[in-house]
Amino acid sequence: MKKAHVFRMAAATAAVAVAATACGGGSGASDANVDLGSGPAKAGTVKKDALKGVNLTFASYGGIYQDGQQKAAIDPFAAESGARVLQDGPTDYAKIKAQVDSGNVTWDVVDTDAIWGQAQCGKLLMPLDYTIIDKSNVPAGLASECGVPAMQYGMVLAYNKDRYGANPPKGWADFFDTARFPGKRAIPGIPNDPAPGPYEAALIADGVAPDKLFPLDVERANRKLTSVRSSLVFWKTGAESQQLLESGEADMVMLWSGRAYDAIKNGAKYDVQWNQFMPIMDVLGVPKGARNPKAAMALINYYLGAQQQAKLTELTSYSPIHTGAKPKLDALGSAFLTTSKERQAQALPIDAKWWAQNQHALVEKWSAWLGG
Amino acid sequence: MAVVEKADRAPAPSVPTRGRTGRAPRERGAGRPAVLLIPALLLVAVFFAYPLATMLWRAFTEPDTGFGNFTWFFTTDANIDVLVRTFTTALWVTVVALLLSYPYAYAMTAAGPRGRTVLTLLVLVPFWTSLMVRTFAWVVILQDTGVLNKTLDLVGLGPVHLIRSQTGVVIGMVQLLMPFMVLPLYAVMSGIDRRYVQAARSLGARPLTAFAGVYLPLTLPGVAAGSLMVFVSALGFYITPALLGSPDDALISQQIVTQVNGLLQWGRGGAMGVVLLGMTLALLVLVALATRRTGKKVSL
Repeated sequence: MKKAHVFRMAAATAAVAVAATACGGGSGASDANVDLGSGPAKAGTVKKDALKGVNLTFASYGGIYQDGQQKAAIDPFAAESGARVLQDGPTDYAKIKAQVDSGNVTWDVVDTDAIWGQAQCGKLLMPLDYTIIDKSNVPAGLASECGVPAMQYGMVLAYNKDRYGANPPKGWADFFDTARFPGKRAIPGIPNDPAPGPYEAALIADGVAPDKLFPLDVERANRKLTSVRSSLVFWKTGAESQQLLESGEADMVMLWSGRAYDAIKNGAKYDVQWNQFMPIMDVLGVPKGARNPKAAMALINYYLGAQQQAKLTELTSYSPIHTGAKPKLDALGSAFLTTSKERQAQALPIDAKWWAQNQHALVEKWSAWLGG
Repeated sequence: MAVVEKADRAPAPSVPTRGRTGRAPRERGAGRPAVLLIPALLLVAVFFAYPLATMLWRAFTEPDTGFGNFTWFFTTDANIDVLVRTFTTALWVTVVALLLSYPYAYAMTAAGPRGRTVLTLLVLVPFWTSLMVRTFAWVVILQDTGVLNKTLDLVGLGPVHLIRSQTGVVIGMVQLLMPFMVLPLYAVMSGIDRRYVQAARSLGARPLTAFAGVYLPLTLPGVAAGSLMVFVSALGFYITPALLGSPDDALISQQIVTQVNGLLQWGRGGAMGVVLLGMTLALLVLVALATRRTGKKVSL
């Protein structure tokens, strides 16, 4: 869902960016003046009026997702803390680099891909202060040195009900079995974002045990992908993947769960095979050199509250990353909660750390395979 | 303040002085054009020359000083493939656009005033529509379950695979770039005296000979201008190939985005930009030389 808006928002961003640099020029209060109160931080809270006169800019991926973030967490945070929070986007790694390199950081909190965030820890993103941010209710292992999860979703297998209804695909092995399941497949084809998805699915289909996936054998994965290439089409934006479902153009699609949810809600005759789905997260981080890191982290701490997370899920269909969040959802929405016990048991374990360490080499290999 | 003062003083010299009428204003104006250029030059310097220089600088200095980025570019097979594909796609787009635009521009010159207005609007209205909107429209038209394929199905011509192929990319880009071909062609054609063709016919030339020997050479400046504009614009296309093509139809601008936004390798991205710019400039020089020569031939 999120990356879809990159194209559509590009033009708008230019204008917003100009406006943001023009008026986001200086935070009213410097770091030293910020008093966040005493005692341990509690997720979802901020000291009343602690950030009066502070300007912050929150950058995310736009669309329904960022609207949801704004309504669920950012606007209430602004109202309680007294800070003025501007929205900007879509997240653009090149812009973060430009801001950090030039020492003129206008984005205080950025929503990025989790693997990217981990790879840039200490480079473009600063370590987070966990005395300001309360991560006690974040599912174990998901918060890292430079990023806390912003939400969770998954890379899932959606299949055409009319075509495979009686005998649906059971997992990635069937996705790659074009003899038993004839039909067109779609997978993500974003040159600068291979993770996670095609490689893991190809290796599972080639017989690798789920717990032996990492380190990924990229050559083997590429061979498997090449073997079905004639049946593959590639989507490059979330909107395109959703369109493939709604037009019925591809019979099996590997796509982000948020997009599958939207398509099915719009009446696409598809179902999701949750077995072996791959959990993905966005993280919130603070760029190095941000003007008011304390205030930025106070915003992140507020964002992690149970109520905020429940509301975000209700508005966006993405899963909450607070263990106690209780969103009110219909049957379809509940089925798409990747953090539920049932879903967690079906998930393929993804080694984000390994991805972060090898991301660079993998992007090169992936874009070369795609371009060939 | 200064402006007001000048304005106050301005009328004085323009009062006609006996014997020197007309000279003074012209002299005063002689220094002006350069001054008038300053805002535009500043704009170009700040928003074009400076970023371009930065890109050049990065290409040779990031991450290490030297030709490392260029060596990488020319020794990586994938890059060469993309470069060749970029130029062949642009060439296809130019050829198809020319074949479609030439008769169209001719029809514009041949039509009556009302017909010409309609034909001109047909070119300009899509031209005024956002490129993104038109590209998405092509997605809807070209996809396997799209309008075009459904229609073809009805008449029994079966589904034709167009989207996510080079054909789809060329179709979309031709439609987007056609105005740049039609308008220069029309500008040249409307200035050609039709009686030359009549004269050739009256001297016994067949219609085709009259066209090839008289009309076509006269339109060559328009052909050159239109082709050049379409070709050069096509080299830098990003959104249309990204949406209508599959990743193996990617053009160089998409690879630049991968380097700049995905890998944050600005040196490599810069080097790719320099290669594209260099080749485009070389092409412009070649065409300039070629048209100068044919221009002489035509005038002889």
